[in-house]
This record gives sequence, C-alpha cells and structure tokens, in this order.
Amino acid sequence: MRPDPSRTLQGVGINLMTNVMAEVKSPFGQQTVGLAATLSFWLAEEAERGADRLVTENRVTRDILRDGLPLAGDARAAVEAAIATPAAANFTISSLQAENDSLRRGLIDLHAAVESNPSPDAQSMNERIWAELVESTRRRQFQARI
Amino acid sequence: MEAPLAKYLEAKLPAENVRVTNLSRIPGGASRETWMFDATWGGDGEEHAQSFVVRKDPPASLLETDRETEYAFYSAFWNTKVPVPRMRWLEPDASIIGGPFFIMDRILGCEGSTRATQAPPYLAVQAQLAENMYDILGAIATFDWRGSEAERVAEAPTVDTAWRKELDHWEGIINAQEISPQPLIRAAIRWLRANPPPPAQRITVVHGDYRVGNFLYQQDGSIHGIVDWEMAHLGDPVEDLAWSFNESWWWAKDGRPGGIVEKERAIALWERASGLKADPKALFWWEVFCHVKCQGIWITGARSFQEGRSNELILALVAYNLINGQDQSLLRTLGRLS
Repeated sequence: MRPDPSRTLQGVGINLMTNVMAEVKSPFGQQTVGLAATLSFWLAEEAERGADRLVTENRVTRDILRDGLPLAGDARAAVEAAIATPAAANFTISSLQAENDSLRRGLIDLHAAVESNPSPDAQSMNERIWAELVESTRRRQFQARI
Repeated sequence: MEAPLAKYLEAKLPAENVRVTNLSRIPGGASRETWMFDATWGGDGEEHAQSFVVRKDPPASLLETDRETEYAFYSAFWNTKVPVPRMRWLEPDASIIGGPFFIMDRILGCEGSTRATQAPPYLAVQAQLAENMYDILGAIATFDWRGSEAERVAEAPTVDTAWRKELDHWEGIINAQEISPQPLIRAAIRWLRANPPPPAQRITVVHGDYRVGNFLYQQDGSIHGIVDWEMAHLGDPVEDLAWSFNESWWWAKDGRPGGIVEKERAIALWERASGLKADPKALFWWEVFCHVKCQGIWITGARSFQEGRSNELILALVAYNLINGQDQSLLRTLGRLS
C-alpha cells in the first residue's frame, strides 16, 4: 500500500511530536504523546525490515543448528526438534516469529551443550553462536534514537 | 478519583470536609501508577493542608510486586539517615480508587527526573549528588534491619545463599514471563550459576532499584527522598552498587553510572560510607546478574502489553528498546561487544 506503511508511521510520529505535543498540558499526557511518537518512529523501521530480519535470522539459526547437531550431546533431541520446525508457511510477521521462537529455543539448547564441551569443534561452534547472538542484537537495533 | 480520595481521607485522618485538588499523574512509574494531590481539611477550628502521593496498583505493569513489602521498607527507614517520605496508609481494598494503593506524604521542593541531572543548574552539582547518593547507599547497607518493618516482610538469606536466592527469583520470573526465547540471558544465567560470587560480607537491606532517577534532590546536590522501594529485599549489599552501575541508567551515555559519577569514584564513596569492600569478583557477578534482573522486568512489561492486560505505552517502548538494549549491554559487560 502506498504511501508505504513505514513512511505513514513516520508521519504519525512527526505529527505527534510537532502538532499534538504542544496542545497537551499535563506532564503525564506529554509523556504519553512522546512515547507514542517514539514508538511510531520505531514501528516505521520495523514495518520495513521486520520480515527480512526474521527470514535472515531464521536461515542463519537453522544453519547453525544443522552444523552443531553432531556436537549437541544430551541436547541432541531438542536440537533435532528445532531443526524439524517447519519453515513459516507465509511471510506474515507472526508466522516468521513463531518459526524464530522455535529455532532460538533450539539455539539455547545447543549453546548450553557446546559451551561445556572443551573440544575444539565445540568451542568453535560456541564462538559461532556468540557471533550470531551479537549479530542478532544488531538486527534489532533501531536507528531512530529517543 | 478526587471524591473517593477525599472520602477516604475523611475516615483516615479523621477530618471533615476534606477537599482534594491538583490531582495529577506523575510521569514514569511503569510499575505502580503514581499520583500526587493536595488535600485541605478543617473540623477542629483550623484549616489544614497537606500534599500527598498515592501509589496505586495498575491492572498490569513492568513488575508484579507486593505493595505491603514496599510500604514496609519505606516505613523501616522513616526518621533514619536514609531519607524517605512518611508513609500514611496502606489500603488493600481495590474498590476505593480502582486498585489497592498506599498514601505517603509528598516531599516538596525537589526535582526527581533523570534528565534534569544532565542540565543546568544540576549539572554543576553532580559531584555532590553522587557523594550523597553513595553515602545514603552506605547508610542502607549499615542499617540494622533486625526488629524493623523490613524484617517482618522479607525473608533473610544467608551470606552464602543471597546470590542464589535472587538468581532463582529472577530466573523464575523470566521463565514465567518471556514471550520469546532469550538466548543471551539464558547464557548469562548459566554463567552466573557456574561462577558464583564470594559470600556476601553481610546481609543488609537491598533497595533493589537504587539509581539516578529514584531519588529526590535539590539544587545544592542534597537528596531528600529515596523512592521506589518495590523491589526491596534482604541480601548482598553489592547488588545495589552493581545495579547503580547498569548501562540502562547511563543518562549521559558516556560510561558514567547515572551520568553523574565515574565508577571508581562511586566505589570509593560507597566503600567509605558502608565500611564494606566492593570485591571485583563479587561486583562483576552482580553486574552480570543485574542484566538478567533488568531483562526480567522488561520481559514482564512486554508480556503485559502483548496479552492486552495493559495499554501503557511505556511497556511497549521498554519492550522495543530495552530488551535488545539490555542484551547489548550484557554483551559489553562480557567483553563480546565494544
């Protein structure tokens, strides 16, 4: 739909900050308008990137789980179950998020298994998981600041 | 809410013709709704006036804490070296103003916002603010809680179990509240269990949310009220010190705790005031723990909003910003993100 949802939400935020804020008298009301504006800016970013962020992360996480399965030890069944998570049936955020939740549950199990395993392969996988966790926070970072 | 509050005060003071004016909600307060109001009354031939604050339980919040515990910790410190507002009434009846609540005297003439500490005229007194902040934290750590209201409501751990009690508590909250898996916080929890801190030097009152933003201050850098005791408990005093260092309260975004003091200076002030040592191993453990605790709070708020139990926008904002921000802070503490 045009204008793009992200641009529309950006417009909502700008209106709240410039037009509405000045009309609100109470400190609590001003805080609420400020929160709504900030959320609008962030949602504008998320509307544009959300599906891509989840598709990317689901692919990367699934690859880690597959590669880490031989090192999963007692967590093997849990990791196998995560790998067996069906790919999201469509590109709605809720479907992609459900897939992401299942895969990241498996990632926690794999991480716990390899971090307590001193073998070089396990430690290499441990570092790969940490790198992915760092990257996952970058994917979620918003550019608009409070 | 004015009319039921006036009626309530008439019964509690007791007094006749209580008038409630200037009722307004205080911004912030993502756990309990905090309102301030003025009351006047007569009845004994004189006119009386008093400003009050009411803390009311919302339907859902960042935290689901026991208001009786908060009230008891406030009461324990009344008329001590730790400045707190005077508690007046604790009311469990939710029908009066739409939720259980308690009322305290309002401390007048003070600033409380975090933003003000970063601008004139308060910018010039940051050093005094910091000295007073950590002096008072030392006073909390030396407070004899035995026989006080705090002992009545809080279970004391031993010096060996203080860390485990808190970690169990907050891991339980995360287990119950998380909407999505939290791989980073789970890694932190595993590390905390595998690397316990040294025993606490003593068991003290722990404020639980001691930071810039939870005290009332004036232009000379003096502090006149420590507020928000809803997470207060008995435990290891290093927890409060570590909490005050959390990156979530680096208001100047320059690495200084609270945006007002260098970390080393804060440690020296606290050690002087408390007579305790900030053992680096213990402090680091509690700093990592504080990321877990923060995440427990943010996640609880996110779930409240997601499930529609609250429409407070602060909960959505916290979920969108602080859950990921806390993960990044944890990574920096662990040396995995610069």
